[in-house]
Amino acid sequence: MSFDPQELIDGYLDDRLSPNELEQLETWIQECPQNAREFASAAMLHDRLRDEQVARSGIARFVVDGCKPNPAEQDSEFESTPKVRIASIWRWNGLRSIATAASVLATAAGLLIILWNGFGDSVAVAGVVELNRLIATSVLSFDQTYQIDVEDVALARRRGGRGRDASQMRPPKPPMDAAILHVRGQSNFVLIRKTVDGADFVTGSNGRSSWAARPDGPVRVSSDLSRFNRDVPGHEFHMPLSNINEGLSQMRVAYDLHVLPIENPDGDVSFGEGASRLLVAVKKKGYPGPRRVEITYSVSSGHIEQLRFIEMPYGPDRLTLRLTLVEERDLGPDFFDHSSHHTSDRTVIEE
Amino acid sequence: MDERILLVTRQWALAQPVVSAFVTSVVRDFADRDDVLQEIAVAIIQSSHRYDPERSFVGWALGIAQNQVKSYLRAKHRNRLVFNDEVIALVSDTFQSESPDEMHKLEFLNECLEKLEGRSKQLCELRYANDLKPAAIAQKVQMSANAVAKALQRIRDQLRACIQSKIITERA
Repeated sequence: MSFDPQELIDGYLDDRLSPNELEQLETWIQECPQNAREFASAAMLHDRLRDEQVARSGIARFVVDGCKPNPAEQDSEFESTPKVRIASIWRWNGLRSIATAASVLATAAGLLIILWNGFGDSVAVAGVVELNRLIATSVLSFDQTYQIDVEDVALARRRGGRGRDASQMRPPKPPMDAAILHVRGQSNFVLIRKTVDGADFVTGSNGRSSWAARPDGPVRVSSDLSRFNRDVPGHEFHMPLSNINEGLSQMRVAYDLHVLPIENPDGDVSFGEGASRLLVAVKKKGYPGPRRVEITYSVSSGHIEQLRFIEMPYGPDRLTLRLTLVEERDLGPDFFDHSSHHTSDRTVIEE
Repeated sequence: MDERILLVTRQWALAQPVVSAFVTSVVRDFADRDDVLQEIAVAIIQSSHRYDPERSFVGWALGIAQNQVKSYLRAKHRNRLVFNDEVIALVSDTFQSESPDEMHKLEFLNECLEKLEGRSKQLCELRYANDLKPAAIAQKVQMSANAVAKALQRIRDQLRACIQSKIITERA
């Protein structure tokens, strides 16, 4: 064997391996149990070093939402400050005192109390905790497909468009009702709407470019990722339907969050499979956006089952619409490219 | 609070270092490790009703951790160099079977860190307290990235040797 395994392990932990070297390391780990043990031992040291150094540096912070480290307290020699999150306060260290362990357990128990008995004053805290969980779960999920249903449209009084001739008027937006939305991560989406003629009007983004494939005319592609979501509700106030994660993150700031009690299909109030919970977000004064957002999600997995936006601004109108999760699976590497949504003979214009 | 949740919470506090090391061995970025670990903690507590106290808690927790780590890799690092599923499963099994001894050894780490001085101490702090990779450290200390990587390797070797000598002294 021409390589030094310890060098490969160190290179791996420092994220410096080439694809070939990674393959060599994989083969070596699989060769015999002793090799796997050696690797695990190195990873344990690496992991513990992080905790020891954070503890020593004295600049660890327990960061909760809206609670940032005081810059004045940071070590000026170092630019980045390690952030120790909720899970990290549960870290057991053999050298730490029993008091630390008791504190760890008390904090864990506190979090549990918030999660399970989140009533009264703790309701808002539970809302933030749960919203964070939904965001994390959403990021880690497979590609999601939602059915959009418009429940209500409150039309604004029109001023008649005087002074603008028909050629200057924008064509009507395809209806959102019965549209299908596919999303992946933070910036990949495909929104399929039906025109009044029943043809597909498809817009999307693959994270590198955005595009619009109308039923007729050329397919338009732009490097501006927001170019074709401007007629999708929510983009003006950072809650575009095409980026559910961004919308959820925005809710942490602009909304008061409330977690409602668990609802089971069979009426049982215990915490079991199939139980759903409703997170209600009510917009704070001074922020744009829908007046209220209701999120129904699985208690056990944190997966969002339905999102309901009440009185969502859409141009001058207000929509109440519902996104219902219909499928969750990997849609494949090319699904969010425009070429997957039109025939190959269509003209494509890069803007 | 439910007895099962209390039991799982207690067990989790003890198993967490092993699970953390497993996550680190696959995820590598410490900030991401903390995020994934948080997800695992929530998933474990929420699945507490499924835990069979007759089984190894660490094994059960590592099973949940494997799923969370794979989800993370799917979502965040589609193009990044990561272990294949077979190796991830093997590493997880190894942590389950080997962890108690290794955890005990690491109790000497703090004492051994005290012995680091000068440049070694600085590099160790930059790598672990500040979560900087060798290339970023190199810019701060006017060394090449390769030299930093080699130095970090030597530091870990020294720490391992120090820990080993302390274990021998303890047993003597």
